[in-house]
Amino acid sequence: MFAATELSFNYPSGRKGLGKVSLKGAPGDRVVVMGPNGSGKSTLLRLVSTELPSSPGSLELFGEAWESSRRDFRKRRDLRKKIGIVQDTPVHVEDLTGMENGLLFAELYGLPRAEALGAFAALFTSLGLDEALDVPTREYSYGMKKKLLIAEALVHNPDLLIVDEPALGLDPPSRAALLRILEERSEQGVCILAATNEPALAQELATVVVLLHEGEVVAHGSPAELLAKVGGATRIEVHVTGSLPAGLTTTGPAFEGLPADVVSIRQLPGRIIAESRSGSDVLPQLVGAVLDAGLKIERVEIREPDLTDVFTLFTGRALGTEASDRPVENP
Amino acid sequence: MTLPIWRTEWLTALRRRRLLVLNTLIPLVFVAPIALSAAPAVHSAAAFTVLFALFGTFGSSIPLIRDGESGLLRRYVLTGVHPGGILLQRVFANAALDLMELAPSVLVIFVARGSSVPQMAMVLPAMVVGLVAANALGALTAALAKSVAEGALFSAVAALLLLHWAGTFRTPVPGTWQATLETWNPFRPLHESLLAAAGGGPDLDLALLTIPVGITLAVLLLIAAGGRYTIGLGGR
Repeated sequence: MFAATELSFNYPSGRKGLGKVSLKGAPGDRVVVMGPNGSGKSTLLRLVSTELPSSPGSLELFGEAWESSRRDFRKRRDLRKKIGIVQDTPVHVEDLTGMENGLLFAELYGLPRAEALGAFAALFTSLGLDEALDVPTREYSYGMKKKLLIAEALVHNPDLLIVDEPALGLDPPSRAALLRILEERSEQGVCILAATNEPALAQELATVVVLLHEGEVVAHGSPAELLAKVGGATRIEVHVTGSLPAGLTTTGPAFEGLPADVVSIRQLPGRIIAESRSGSDVLPQLVGAVLDAGLKIERVEIREPDLTDVFTLFTGRALGTEASDRPVENP
Repeated sequence: MTLPIWRTEWLTALRRRRLLVLNTLIPLVFVAPIALSAAPAVHSAAAFTVLFALFGTFGSSIPLIRDGESGLLRRYVLTGVHPGGILLQRVFANAALDLMELAPSVLVIFVARGSSVPQMAMVLPAMVVGLVAANALGALTAALAKSVAEGALFSAVAALLLLHWAGTFRTPVPGTWQATLETWNPFRPLHESLLAAAGGGPDLDLALLTIPVGITLAVLLLIAAGGRYTIGLGGR
């Protein structure tokens, strides 16, 4: 469906967008790109969707090399009609109603009106947009516009669906409906390339997850494969106030005596993060050690590992936090 | 053949009723006092021609840049539609809308200046050519501009320069290159026909339109090829 090989992109300012990214998607694949803001997710999607001009590296779409400078309009048109795109910012003709906008884009994709009406009826019902069909889109909320954009991207039954931040702005029922629709399309052979910051969504949706950091792929694989790399340890995050002890390790003086199930312990500003192989069983000892170190506990969070931990494992950075929010020690 | 962009332009214009009324009334407010005054035909016709040409040029350029900046044009292009096709549909739709909005003003000129039927009959095709050319010029300036402000500047400069070369502000010396250029200029028939309708010139021959129509078609071809560089189309 698509294959990017060592795809690179620099913005006109010289800022790196992507550096030698290689990835591919086959029919039925759900490739989800994850990474913090500015990591190159949207740039990658915009390159694959043919929105950005070709850049160093190569891009193959539907078995053919894509070169934006080539002037073969017919080929370009046929290729673009096989792609559905959901941008992160939904843009519509604001004076037209939802249905009028939908029919406009269906017609631009070359879909007969009767066929488009049938397809939209099902999509609008699934996404819960029925009641807003005759309302001008200028009166739509962000979430409604996003749902309309999703319907417009799916109406012509694309072979490749590119979705930037699929669930952004959607309420829980709409999010569930979207996931259902994406899974159905994937089962029908549609290849989905999505970008998100939501680890839960990525875990739910992806057959392949690609972690991007500063424009480069730091890890990729199925969610299960990636999670296996963090060892499946439960993460216990103790938010504290007070001066954190220097040289924090499981065997150091402050945390001596913690059970062996605590496989790692490290500190971030205002937090102590422990990873445990026996779930929350180690909590009493951990809390005791923190209090003994003279710290005051604000709250404790316990969670199973997710893709953000995989990202942290490979980059040493927390996904979605500031660059300065880095571990002082990583045992 | 379906023309979704043409239809969208019309639908949008008809939905924005306030803007439609303003676009009809404002030229009327400008034209009526001049048409009803004793201003010489040569000055009146120059004022009308400038107004109509700028009306078309700005009305084409600025919305195109705005839709490019918003990402709407990019969305159109990513459906596989030819960028030139998008621009041509917009040019013709907006020229038709301009004609509709300017019709009351033109009627006022006819009535106030007592234009003859042949004079009135000549204004219509000249308006069509002039407005298509003005909208085409707007699409070209939109392709060069990087912001709405630049678009407004380029539109004003390009339209006024072409109006100057159309003989709107002066009469060129016969036999000079300016005189040759004037016969090619798509704004010339507009100016000449309005001059005649305002009572300052002879009845015109439709042959006057031949070269300007050819030039306008050439500009439209240029838009189909070069207009893809409009913001949001980005050469795609």
